[in-house]
Amino acid sequence: MIYFAAKNRINGSKTCGVGLILGFLLLLTLPLLVHSNNYILQVFTHALLLASLALAWNLLGVSGSISLGHAAFFGVGAYGSALINLEFGLSTWLTIFLAGLIATGLGLIMGLICLRLRGAYFALATLAFVEIPKVITDNWDALTKGSLGLVGISGLPTLRMGDWHVDFGAGIADSYYFVFVYFVILLGLVAFVSRSNMGLALQAIREEEIAAEAVGIHVNRYRLLSLLMSAFFTGVCGACYAHLVRYIEPGLVYGLHFSAVPMIFAICGGRFTILGPAVAALILYPVDQFIFHPLLPAGHEFLYGAVLILTVLFIPYGFWGRLRNA
Amino acid sequence: MILLQLKSLNKTFNNFCALSDIDFSVREGEIVGLVGPNGAGKTTLFNLICGRYRPSSGNILFKGIDITDLKPHTICHLGISRTFQSSRPFPRMSTLQNVLVGHIFGKGFSLHACPEDRQTAIELLEIVGIAHKADTPAGQLTLSEQRRLDLARALATRPKLLLLDEVAAGFSPVLVKQAIQLINRVRKRGVSLLIIDHFLNLSLKVADRLLALDHGEKIAEGPPHMVMRNRDVLQAYLGLRHQDEEDD
Repeated sequence: MIYFAAKNRINGSKTCGVGLILGFLLLLTLPLLVHSNNYILQVFTHALLLASLALAWNLLGVSGSISLGHAAFFGVGAYGSALINLEFGLSTWLTIFLAGLIATGLGLIMGLICLRLRGAYFALATLAFVEIPKVITDNWDALTKGSLGLVGISGLPTLRMGDWHVDFGAGIADSYYFVFVYFVILLGLVAFVSRSNMGLALQAIREEEIAAEAVGIHVNRYRLLSLLMSAFFTGVCGACYAHLVRYIEPGLVYGLHFSAVPMIFAICGGRFTILGPAVAALILYPVDQFIFHPLLPAGHEFLYGAVLILTVLFIPYGFWGRLRNA
Repeated sequence: MILLQLKSLNKTFNNFCALSDIDFSVREGEIVGLVGPNGAGKTTLFNLICGRYRPSSGNILFKGIDITDLKPHTICHLGISRTFQSSRPFPRMSTLQNVLVGHIFGKGFSLHACPEDRQTAIELLEIVGIAHKADTPAGQLTLSEQRRLDLARALATRPKLLLLDEVAAGFSPVLVKQAIQLINRVRKRGVSLLIIDHFLNLSLKVADRLLALDHGEKIAEGPPHMVMRNRDVLQAYLGLRHQDEEDD
């Protein structure tokens, strides 16, 4: 299917390559181009964060498992970083990292419970799993202030090297670059993992699990490893979100939104590609915010549903997979 | 030297006895044909040896090591590899990548791919005769090519014992002839083979010994011409009840 036009592959990749370089330069210089127009920058900061979230989601997605529960990692990362920061006053750099570790711990629990399941059963179990951290956060008033949420979370951290320093929390352009750098690092890491032998193992598991174990792949180890990595970076995304927005509440960070949106971006862009999920996020979220939000303030998110249905019906391997091979 | 030894192996599924009391062994360098009618338990026996199923009782020894309770990937690392009755390629990966997976993971974990891996994989594709399809997604190969790919991928794990499940079923006489050549080439690499061969179009020509199963029980064992003359085997295949009555 997607290999239908394999002989034109080189032309397709060339066009995509040029598009990618232009896109990268555009993102790199965006704050200069828009003269720090706050609204545009804010939308693209969130787009980059969601793109990172989609990349993190797809670290598990490449193994063929569809998770509907990544909001659990996102929420626990956001609350973890914010609470450690508020209670102990640790450096925000450290709290963001710890948030990733907390999410990894939760990923381990989820993995032990859910990874024995496959396909739709795995997806449903993860969907239910989100409720555990959500209910705890919602009801442990003494620690989390429950449904009131947390306010006064510190902004994004400051990078110091001798006398030179950047305060990423100072303005929207600074925050934009913080998220941008995180996105680029994560993208590099995802590309590295996908091209390593681990990526090969995950692909094989996705394609034909019984054959994969028969040729010596420790299926459960690789599936768990990919879930843990995915959980870590999703937790870091949650922490970034908490310090970016500086206000969180359980219904928001554990909401279906943060489970569904990375999945939609990944499926729409192409679950089996490295860049697809990120490209989809960077196109769809701004389209949603700039075009559909003004038109339909209440129901603008129908866009995501429509795009998901159309993708599944017409380009099941996502548009990036199609473009690269067309 | 005995490579694989099955000791009073039993397997039951919900009170259905799929295999009962199988004692058997495969020597090093040997080709053994596993024959029997549908539902005799041939594939179940494969699944037990490869660790996909656990036996209800009994033991499996490979090179003297008890592998009864080991997982499929560990058994592969020890040197048993298999093909599947209906081949199971990784459909969206290229033919070459399919074989590379076997080569890279067949003996345990290796973090980095090295250039020789690719060369070995191409050689294996040449042996099975599909090197010209190296870049084609495995899902687009023909049925016969997919069987060859299955074989190449299994060989890539560097097995001592190779289990072939119905490798020539449905093949034309020409393809069967090629399959026989292929099996002899595999044997020359020092690999022992256990071949499930329901239609007997392969094992009569290449096997040193046959093991005949029926209804989960061993009914005969020995050189092919002896087993094929065995009354129980003929009865299992052809249903000679009428002749039995005459004999009685």
